[in-house]
Amino acid sequence: MFRLAWRQLLIDPLRTCLTAFALRAVIATILVLEGFEQGQYFQLARAVFDRDADLIVTQAGVSNFLATRSSIPQLSRADVESVEGVVNAHPITVLPVIYEKLGRKTPLFLFVYDTRGGAVNIIEGQNISDGRDIIVDVSLAKRYDIQIGDKFIVSDFEFKVAGITEDAAALFTGFAFINYDGMIDLFLESEIAPDLSTFPLLSFMLVELEPTADRVKVASEIEARAPDVDVYTPQQLAENDVNLGRTLFGPVMNLLVNVAYIIGLLVVGLIMFANVRSRLRSFAVLKALGFSNTNLAFAVLLQALLLLIISLPLGVLLAQGIAMIIHLYTPLYLIYMFEPDVFIHTLSASIIFAIIGSWIPLRSIRKADPMLAFQGT
Amino acid sequence: MFRWAWKSLLTQKTGVFGSAAGVASAFILVIFFDAVFRGESTQIITYIEHTRPNIWVMQRGVSNMHMASSFLWDWKADKIATLPGVKQVTPILYLNSVVNIGDQKALSYVVGLEPGSARAGPWEMEAGRSLPKPGEAIIPAVMATLADIGIGDTVSITDKSFKVVGLSKDTYSMANSITFVTFKDLEDILSSTGTYSYLLVDTDEGVDANELSTRIMNDVEKINAMPHEEFIKSDYRMSMQMGLEIIFLMTVICSALATLIVGFTAYSQVMNKRRELAIAKALGMRNMSIVNSVIFQSVAITSLGFLMAVIFALTIIPRISTLVPQVSLLVSPSAFIQIGLVALVVAIVGSLIPAYYVSRLDPTSAFHV
Repeated sequence: MFRLAWRQLLIDPLRTCLTAFALRAVIATILVLEGFEQGQYFQLARAVFDRDADLIVTQAGVSNFLATRSSIPQLSRADVESVEGVVNAHPITVLPVIYEKLGRKTPLFLFVYDTRGGAVNIIEGQNISDGRDIIVDVSLAKRYDIQIGDKFIVSDFEFKVAGITEDAAALFTGFAFINYDGMIDLFLESEIAPDLSTFPLLSFMLVELEPTADRVKVASEIEARAPDVDVYTPQQLAENDVNLGRTLFGPVMNLLVNVAYIIGLLVVGLIMFANVRSRLRSFAVLKALGFSNTNLAFAVLLQALLLLIISLPLGVLLAQGIAMIIHLYTPLYLIYMFEPDVFIHTLSASIIFAIIGSWIPLRSIRKADPMLAFQGT
Repeated sequence: MFRWAWKSLLTQKTGVFGSAAGVASAFILVIFFDAVFRGESTQIITYIEHTRPNIWVMQRGVSNMHMASSFLWDWKADKIATLPGVKQVTPILYLNSVVNIGDQKALSYVVGLEPGSARAGPWEMEAGRSLPKPGEAIIPAVMATLADIGIGDTVSITDKSFKVVGLSKDTYSMANSITFVTFKDLEDILSSTGTYSYLLVDTDEGVDANELSTRIMNDVEKINAMPHEEFIKSDYRMSMQMGLEIIFLMTVICSALATLIVGFTAYSQVMNKRRELAIAKALGMRNMSIVNSVIFQSVAITSLGFLMAVIFALTIIPRISTLVPQVSLLVSPSAFIQIGLVALVVAIVGSLIPAYYVSRLDPTSAFHV
């Protein structure tokens, strides 16, 4: 039966190729959509992990890193650093700002850092050495054709692009990095805030611990000593942000992925239906030779599974190619497919499509009259 | 030859319908993506749209509300209120933050309202009061439903808890729902005093908003004043821009998928009818006529798919928000025009391989037994 299914595929290589292409495209579309959703979550988690902290201190009651306002009293830093096991509490401030150039506006997260928490993957230029320096994510650089040394104006304040970094984006928003000299100049010169106390001068603290320090113990000690703050491990904070992301993107991405699954089902069904219709005479011959409807249905199912086996690895490769192209041209979006869940979903959905798809032409097989085999062409 | 092509399509109704449905699904995916971004962008500006003052005043260098921060001294509001042509100035305090609601979290515009400031508050209520008192909040009804809470329950912003006293309508969006609290409570959260975020300026009747905006900017230093229409456009454009690239990419991916489906169907049609086509060639039918008929079949299948996608988009997509209330979808006629043009390209490209096959078909194959 396996041989029969295999030979059916070899009868018309062009049709088999087209079929495999269509299946590949369906698998790739599903993977890209699933990967797009996972990419959002991956970016959210990476935004936390890239800050390189053992513990992260937030304003009391704030349990997220991005898209929320956290403002910690400056004096808390001394309290945190006085806890045994803490080597340093590196300050970091996150400000949402709007970048505008030539009539186009883009929101961005401005990360202000001192000794830790800056850009981690600088691909061009160098790190910040001056208060006027700024490092921007490649997504912004590409969108606005920004080169090293260019002006980068935020709220009338002129920064100079010192470096371009990659993988610094989340929530459809690119990141830019400046130091605290830059932030103070930005606030004062551009009068971004008439009342400086209104703006969070210190959003988070990135706590660096001694190698032997007990994280849980240090965290509770910090919370006891500084009541204005909460302490999280990067894993906890990343998980909170990912959960927020799931609330944001989950419903809509589920709808889109379901539409992609319906396409998959239709395509497999269509392919198997067209295959059976075009080989109705062959099926009639097989029936005349004594093959039962069940045997023939099994052959069709095997054929669908064979097509799937051929298409699956190529579909993954195609999806990876699409993901690379998307990331190359619009690095703001990350298609992250290397999640076991994504592969398991796609694989099981594809197998279900193959099974359901091979049921669709069953009626035609049942109706194939063995007499057809003996009719003239 | 077109008649033959048409009749040949009609003989395989199920196959044609199946391929058209596949093509339609690919187009629906694109329309859906567009509707998501358009719906969300529309919902993002819903506060601006409904409060609708004549002029918005904010900090200099700021010209948006979405993902923006703005702070200006309170005396500037007093000064603007005395300018000729200004009927009323309503200040709000504003924060973009996470609201903890039950065991869920939601991104929200938190709007701080002065006592009795219904002008800047919710415009339609599902239940409860529309103006909060200290320690109280008005949240979107959809948000309450999703988190399974109601009036009397508690939400929190940073470490401050609020009792829910009202559920507002039409204030929910995935990216930015609107939560109303008192001005004083939001001041506490922001640790600010004597500052406003935005001023909603209503003008006297017959006053030109553009002229008054310019006058406000000339008379009050370091602020930005924008007529309502300009401000709303600015926010809408920015939020749509955030999705433009991904919509374009999805259009390319789904169009490629649709092209393959059309190509496969057209090829299957040709293969099933190759003997008839060979006879037509043997009878003297020119290659161009046969190729045109293949293209006609592709166009017919794609058009049917496009039509199915449009019908789906117009009838089903608007109802999805009832089933999934957290998703705001807005179907746009411009998306149909774009997809229509893409469909034409898909039909032509999809017919290339079968057309090539037909052009090389040997007429003598008609006489093989």
